[in-house]
Order: sequence, then structure tokens, then C-alpha cells
Amino acid sequence: MFDALGISGTGMRLHRTWLDAISDNIANANTVRSTSDEPFKARYVVAQSIENGGVGGGVQVAGIELTKDASKLAYDPTHPLADARGMVQLADVDLGEQMTTMIMAQRGYQANIAAVDRARQAYQAAIQMGK
Amino acid sequence: MVAGITGVGGAGLNQLAELYRQQVTSGQGAGGAGATEAVNPTAAVRAAEQRSSDFGNLVIDSLGKVESLDKTAQTKAIQAATGDLTDVHDYVIAATEAQTATELTTTLRNKALEAFNEIMRMPL
Repeated sequence: MFDALGISGTGMRLHRTWLDAISDNIANANTVRSTSDEPFKARYVVAQSIENGGVGGGVQVAGIELTKDASKLAYDPTHPLADARGMVQLADVDLGEQMTTMIMAQRGYQANIAAVDRARQAYQAAIQMGK
Repeated sequence: MVAGITGVGGAGLNQLAELYRQQVTSGQGAGGAGATEAVNPTAAVRAAEQRSSDFGNLVIDSLGKVESLDKTAQTKAIQAATGDLTDVHDYVIAATEAQTATELTTTLRNKALEAFNEIMRMPL
């Protein structure tokens, strides 16, 4: 009956997942691995719209993808994980990019909250009309 | 707000729905008896019967919907208390849906009651 609320709920779920992924990326920004392992790769949330032939059913998380960027090597011979040449692999996370993306995710979440609030106000106004 | 919604829900809503169901069935029963007594029930009587049962069914249907919405909100509240709720907004949205649906149904009921009282006040 109140579709707008549920649809905005799916949007909030997606942005919450996005914020979770960004938090994980920032938390692992300084994660160092040895050159024999895969470096830590930033996670990206893939959004997918839910089609129902009508106005749509909102959005869902289609999956989590890892960044395809090349690994960043650093020379640090004193590091316990350093290989024979004294190299380690740094996490493939761009902190500046993560911070700006976090603002986008936060604003998206807030926009969905605003949509829920407006829909609720509209329904309340319709009910008030009958009182 | 949580206590209010759970207070309305569960047994309370069930009782309300049962009350409406009884009213509708008893109303239909009386109408049926009237129809057999009268040789030719007028079209107006039939239309009135149809209308009253339609409204009763509408109220019963909406009460059922309100109940299911309320149950969803209640489940989310329990999940929030036990720490199983992954999305905080899920509970708030479920509670808003249940609250709005309850308000809508009670407004409809109040409006119908008001109309009925208006007719009862008619000087004959």
C-alpha cells in the first residue's frame, strides 16, 4: 500500500552497504602484504535496479567488486613481510577517493531518508483530509 | 511508539476484526430473513445490503493488512532488541507503515460512524 517507503528502504540498504564497504577500505588503507600474496584491493558495491514492469521496486546490491588497479610496491627492507629484494605490497586504496565517495554514500542515504519523510507526510496529509 | 503499536496489534486487532466479521454476518443474516419475508425485495434494499457488506469486507481486509504490517514491525522490533536487525531503517520504515495503515483504517471507520450517526439524527 505504501510503496514509496519500501522503495526508499532498498535505497537506504544499498547506501548502508556502500558505507560499510568504504569503511572497510579505509580500515585497510595501511594493510601491507608480502609480494607473494595478492595486495589488499578496494571494494566497490555494484548497484542494480529492481525492475517490476511498473514504477520499479528500488535498488539492490548486485555484488561486491574489487578494484582492478595495479598493485603498489614499496621498498621497506626492515619490514617483517619484505621479500629478498626488500619489497612489500601496499594496499590498493586511494584515501582521498574513499573520503569523497563516503560523502556521496552518506548524502545518498540522507536523500532516501528525506524521501521516506516526504512520503510519510503526504500519506498523513491524505489521512488528515478525511478527519 | 513501539509500545503503542504493539499494544494495538496482536490480540487487539484480532478481536476488532472478529467483531466486524460478526457484525457483517449478523447484518447479512437479518437482511436475508427480511428478503424471504418480503415477496419482492426492492432494488434499494438489495443495493443497501450489497453496500453494507462491501464496506464490512473493506474494513476487514484493511484490518488484515494492518495486522500483517504490524506483525512485520513487531518482528523487526524483536530483532532490534536481540541484535539480529542488520538495517536500523528497516524497523523505522516497518513501524511507519504500520502506524500509517492503522491511522488510515481508524479514520475510515470514524468517517463511516459519523455518516451513520448523521443518518440516525435525522428527524422522522
